[in-house]
Amino acid sequence: MNDGPAISLRGITKTFGDVVAVDDISLEIPEGEFLTLLGPSGCGKTTTMRMIAGFEDPTAGAIYLRGEDVVGVPPNKREVNMCFQHYALFPHMDVDENIAYGLKLKKVPRDERARRVQEMLELVGLAGYGARRPGQLSGGQQQRIALARALVNRPAALLLDEPLGALDVKLRLQMRLELKRIQHELGTTFVFVTHDQEEALSMSDRIAVMNHGVIEQLGAPRDVYEHPESPFVADFVGVLNALELRIDEVTGDDAIMRVSDTERVVVPVAGTGVTAGSTVLAAVRPERITVTSIGDGTTSLLKGRVEQVVYLGTLTQFHVQTSLGRRVIAHRLSDDGAARITQGDEVSLTWAREDGSILRVG
Amino acid sequence: MNMAASKSGRGLLWTSFWLLVVFLYAPILVLGVFSFNDRDIVSFPWQGFTTRWYEGLFDNQQILDALRTSAWIALVASIITTVLAIPAAIALQRRRFRGKAVASGFMLAPLVVPLVVLGTAMLLLFNYIGIPFGPITLIIAHVIIALPFAILTLTPRLERIPVAIEEASRDLGAGALTTFRAITLPLLAPAVVSAFLIVYVISFDEIVLASFLAGTTTTFPLYVFSQLRLPRQLPQIPAVAVIVLAVSTMLVVSAEVLRARSDRLLGEGQLRVDEDDTATVVGAPLGAGGSM
Repeated sequence: MNDGPAISLRGITKTFGDVVAVDDISLEIPEGEFLTLLGPSGCGKTTTMRMIAGFEDPTAGAIYLRGEDVVGVPPNKREVNMCFQHYALFPHMDVDENIAYGLKLKKVPRDERARRVQEMLELVGLAGYGARRPGQLSGGQQQRIALARALVNRPAALLLDEPLGALDVKLRLQMRLELKRIQHELGTTFVFVTHDQEEALSMSDRIAVMNHGVIEQLGAPRDVYEHPESPFVADFVGVLNALELRIDEVTGDDAIMRVSDTERVVVPVAGTGVTAGSTVLAAVRPERITVTSIGDGTTSLLKGRVEQVVYLGTLTQFHVQTSLGRRVIAHRLSDDGAARITQGDEVSLTWAREDGSILRVG
Repeated sequence: MNMAASKSGRGLLWTSFWLLVVFLYAPILVLGVFSFNDRDIVSFPWQGFTTRWYEGLFDNQQILDALRTSAWIALVASIITTVLAIPAAIALQRRRFRGKAVASGFMLAPLVVPLVVLGTAMLLLFNYIGIPFGPITLIIAHVIIALPFAILTLTPRLERIPVAIEEASRDLGAGALTTFRAITLPLLAPAVVSAFLIVYVISFDEIVLASFLAGTTTTFPLYVFSQLRLPRQLPQIPAVAVIVLAVSTMLVVSAEVLRARSDRLLGEGQLRVDEDDTATVVGAPLGAGGSM
């Protein structure tokens, strides 16, 4: 085996008629990585995955699996396996036969086949279910069998197409942990497709945020969440405040807009070419904003009036009309302090300079 | 508003239902009664119970020959039709290709072309190219008229088999042929059996094309029709009709029972395609949206 990436996409494009589904994507996925393609419907994430699986051929570009060019190779000859959105188990076969399907085609001897099927059933926590039919299993159990059926073939990479979408919320949370545990245990490369940012953030090593057929940002969950590089990423990944700022002053790596004598917004701007007088769109996550009674002097500070208070359980959400003329959303833990702030109160919003980031210059 | 809801509406529905039942089944009932009537003319009054018309059947070599002829012609025709209908249904339901609408039109057209026209055309054609009239021309004709029925029987079941199941098979290492044999065909099997039986009944029962193309071959419907002019043997006809009816009813009912049981075994949820599933799995490769 080589030490190169498990999957390498080089400039792949896919068009259906006039529609460009995937537009010149390049991506290297190292062995053992959990990579998520995250984006809304129609962003090209499923098409990208289907091209890796071999169900679609790219209109242009090359796909390498463990260093081998696989464009034109049919799906049954590719060393990747897929978990389908609605499991796609074979309803006329029992669980054992479903899992053994791939091994049988590869002519794995009967004894080894039985042993590996058993191993997989144990891995997914369904030992003893081998004789059942898919129709007799719950959605979550079917999902695990689909996973076992793909992983038993020891693929170079496992492709998962919104595998948790059909499960109810509680099961989804449980399966997230389960998937991560299995991936960690086997060390298999996972390519996970989803439109759910929470799934992406909680499981991935890296996230590729896709929109209109291109990757808008590629990075670790923390990078993507805390330092979105485009308005789309910022908007798609989590709730976000986007602020239009006219920069008054740049000192070192910081750009400052002075809103009033005491109020200011500070954002790091190293390498963005922002100077005094630039207009920028800056972003800050609601949970990075501290909502306090007016008085102290942290780096970014805005005054405002609370227009709405939304209790979210762990967090309380404040909608604050600021002196920037724009409504800002802030989250704070639902502690006693939060409970004292009510609609109509004057508050100050503060956050540390490094919590701000630039979405767009100009 | 809702007819079934009001009292008089419900009465009307029940009346029309029973009228329909009477019109459909009274003739069959009368046929059954006549087949046991101890009288040489097929009509009332009732002259006592007899089974002699049934007993006589087994001595009537002509009836037995006609039944045998129709039975094997129907068997060959239904095998050929079913074998042709499976790939045709898959192509029409699963694939997208240039001229699909035209191909579909041609295959389903025999449904609406008058049989007399079809019979005349085939008579002229077979005569011109020199195929002797008899079982071969009957089989060809029956395959053509039964093909749309077979395709239309297979298509709904095919629609219920998600494409993703076939893709999963290919993804796990099976080629197109293995996928068809191990996945598609077993899941399609109940509809294949239904299609086979429907075609069998169509062919067994067919008289219009047989009148044009049979040559010297006597199929069962042709024999029955010819005997209507010979009153002496007439009482045997209801008897044989009752037997044919009983056998075909048994076949169809057992096929239905089999189908229902296999559907249950598969689990309803497994084969049902959710609406969003159709959109992503079926529509994704070529839909305007491109991908999900």
